[in-house]
Amino acid sequence: MRLATVIAMMTTGLLIGDRVELAHAAQAPASAPAKDARLRVPVEYYKLPNGLKVVLSRDLTTPTAVVAVYYNIGFRNEPKDRTGFAHLFEHMMFQGSANLGKMAFIRLVESNGGLLNGSTRFDFTNYYQVVPSHVLEPVLWAEADRMRSLDIDIENLKNQQEVVKNEVKVNVLNQPYGGFPWIDMPMTANENWYNAHNFYGDLAHLDAATVDDVRAFFKTFYAPNNAALVVTGDFAPEQVKTWIEKYFGSVAPAKLPTAPDLKEPRQEKEKRASRSDPLANRPALGIAYHLPDRFTPEWFAFGLLDEALAQGSDSLFYDELARKKGLTGGVNAGINFGLGSMFDYSGPMLWLAQFFHDSSVSSDTLLSAIDAIVEKVRKDGLSQPELDRARVKMRSDLYSNLEQFAGFGRANLLASFALFDDDPSKINQLEDGFEKVTAALVRKTAEEYLRSTNRTVYVVTPGKAGAPGEKEAR
Amino acid sequence: MKSAIVPLLLLLSLSPQESAPQKPPSPRTPRDFVLPAARRFTLANGLPVTMVPFGQVPKVAIRLVVAAGNLYEGKDEVWLADLTGNLMREGTTAQTADVVAQGFASMGGELGISVGPDTTSISTEVLSERAVDAVRLLADVAERPRLPESELDRVKGNLVRNLAIQKSSPQAIAQERFSKLLYGEHPYGRVFPTEQALKAYTLEQVRTFQKNHYGAARSRLYVAGVFDPPALEAAIKQAFEGWTGAKASDPPAVPASTGRQFALIDRADAPQSTVILGLRVPTASHKDWVALEVTDALLGGAFASRITTNIRELKGYTYSPFSTLDPHPGQASWTETADVTTGVTGASLKEIFFEIDKLRKEAPSAAELKGMKNNLAGVFVVQNASRAGVISRLNFADTHRLGPDYLSSYVKRVMAVTPEDVRRIANEYLTPGKMAVVVVGDEKTVKSQVTEWAQ
Repeated sequence: MRLATVIAMMTTGLLIGDRVELAHAAQAPASAPAKDARLRVPVEYYKLPNGLKVVLSRDLTTPTAVVAVYYNIGFRNEPKDRTGFAHLFEHMMFQGSANLGKMAFIRLVESNGGLLNGSTRFDFTNYYQVVPSHVLEPVLWAEADRMRSLDIDIENLKNQQEVVKNEVKVNVLNQPYGGFPWIDMPMTANENWYNAHNFYGDLAHLDAATVDDVRAFFKTFYAPNNAALVVTGDFAPEQVKTWIEKYFGSVAPAKLPTAPDLKEPRQEKEKRASRSDPLANRPALGIAYHLPDRFTPEWFAFGLLDEALAQGSDSLFYDELARKKGLTGGVNAGINFGLGSMFDYSGPMLWLAQFFHDSSVSSDTLLSAIDAIVEKVRKDGLSQPELDRARVKMRSDLYSNLEQFAGFGRANLLASFALFDDDPSKINQLEDGFEKVTAALVRKTAEEYLRSTNRTVYVVTPGKAGAPGEKEAR
Repeated sequence: MKSAIVPLLLLLSLSPQESAPQKPPSPRTPRDFVLPAARRFTLANGLPVTMVPFGQVPKVAIRLVVAAGNLYEGKDEVWLADLTGNLMREGTTAQTADVVAQGFASMGGELGISVGPDTTSISTEVLSERAVDAVRLLADVAERPRLPESELDRVKGNLVRNLAIQKSSPQAIAQERFSKLLYGEHPYGRVFPTEQALKAYTLEQVRTFQKNHYGAARSRLYVAGVFDPPALEAAIKQAFEGWTGAKASDPPAVPASTGRQFALIDRADAPQSTVILGLRVPTASHKDWVALEVTDALLGGAFASRITTNIRELKGYTYSPFSTLDPHPGQASWTETADVTTGVTGASLKEIFFEIDKLRKEAPSAAELKGMKNNLAGVFVVQNASRAGVISRLNFADTHRLGPDYLSSYVKRVMAVTPEDVRRIANEYLTPGKMAVVVVGDEKTVKSQVTEWAQ
């Protein structure tokens, strides 16, 4: 739903070192060595009899709490004649449930001092609230009410079809570079329809959605056995468990459909695509590479390659392409770029980098400069100082990721690892994973995954019409 | 998947008619929220320093706020402040730019130089174990920039490209015109330079701007996070005490407001119209500021606000409408912004003004207001619960000279606002006849819809 509320990021954070053992003595093995400044997020994980995965992670830094409900249905696996439906459905979850009319959920949270939002991603749809901790019980009640009993009608649906079409217009259709590269690139680089369709949706498909579609989607995917509930922040664990059991315990599970096959074939040949954008006045270049599978040693190595190649003004791309050659002003890049991080997806994924440049610099010139950097890393790997910096940046970024949005960042990772891996304690294995990466593994990973034959190049050229909007109408 | 209609849901949708809906359980008693204590001192050169131990994550945020924003640019110097800020990233007299960049990166941070209308911030956020090194490096960047001739054309070229890209977005086009209508020839009214002007700036101009606007007497230093207070305090003293630089200066006075102004800017065949409307209002140091914040939240700032409920949740005209207050020292503005479907541009303006007019006539109910006040109080707690957030709030209070108890008394002052206060505030300050209205959209479709406001 992407509400327009902008809030400062918040530092309720994780517990570090020995504080953790205090918080969760029962979970920490007695023999666990005390590690300095190594991330240790408290994790309590269990399942209700109806299949709902529950993760609790306490932190008393501020009197706030985060409630996050994640459903294991992303935009990849929406119906083929209903592109954009998973996202439209997300909007419908704010339109009313049996005991909360339209706007009532939003008012309940806001009028008690909370912030809320929802979003639709590749592999999940999430709903979350950041609230003063004394409001935890009514918020849990409300989330359970809409998990149990979505209650919408044709008027709500028509309203949100208009809202979502406006969302697509403001973010894509009336925006220079709209949809570049976060929609264009998956549609070009991927072969499997589930990974390669327009997940923001065709406007005609959005209009075609019916109330029956909405009800069927709810019944099929929005069940406790297809969801994870995460509570982080300031709460009393026994009390919260009682509330969770009381409100979510009686929600009936559903028989889940077989998950679609999301596999992508190994890419053996470089792909190129381009489009002209009449709203843009400078060219842009995107490159994307298919990634190693999650939690493999190569995946951790790729996280460090991303840091070294493309994150920050010390990165190899910035140093060479922007600072030394002046071909571009900088680079924006990442795993799951624009829609999340390397920690919150489960299916096939791309590493993506984006550059804006002047028409006096051709995309081929920029691309050969990129190639020179990439080929050197494929051949030689990273130098020790480069690898050391990448590791420090990764650790620092990981801390910030977990703190994001009032501690919501931590809930996001816990929910993802619960949903996709049935193991939210993976959150405490990330630092080790990056520590174990060797220079040799970085080189080997670069050699295989930064192959030009594993790459897609996407070019946006300014349209002939030129940039509109400069003529005075009055 | 579509055909399977759900007996379960049909039953549930009937059940509310059979028995009254259940009410949510009541919230418990709020826990006290205590703002982190700040240590404040002033260096011999006049630089005020604020240090706030905060949180448990081993990171520290450092921000130097300098009175060197666009406010200090001359009429023909628009974005000279930005060019200066960007060229300050290009190394110090002792260290080249790549060494500086690698230095911050090896501490887990990055150099941020952000040029705003009033101030420029030089900042970083690093792992706590490197806090002392980060302070030294940041001081080097602020006090001894290299401002190299060799990088000037490249840095200018990047700004020229950014300018062109920004000006292709309808929101930026609307904002530029709106600021012009609100502030005229004052620097707040000059959002973008021309490409030619930008290209013509010389290194001499950059060096002069830097020399005249960067100095201890024009700056404040903030630190928040996990750090060793005595060690960091000593490092700050050592790194900043020798800095003198430019003296404080008075910014140009803001001209008087004018009445209703209107602009329609053509964006041929655009599927949406970008609408900004609003006017100048008293700023954060004024006695009515907190009541203005509450009024803004209720009218358009919160998701459950009146304008958003009306034009999004009831009418479906738009996706992300919002109102906001933008406070500068001495002057603020209130605006409502929305990207609306082209065909309902006029209808959207009508509904927005309907909601403003209604609030000017009728006080909100106590229940509606209480919800909004709770919302502001809650958001305040969240805003103060991050390193960057703590620094921003302290800087805000310092900028507007709000006094030492401003932050601790904030929630109390929000809670004291009455329904009649809100009506009075809306009536006194949100006068539709004084508002500027800017529409960027498809002229041929929109023009006939907006004649009512175009006079």
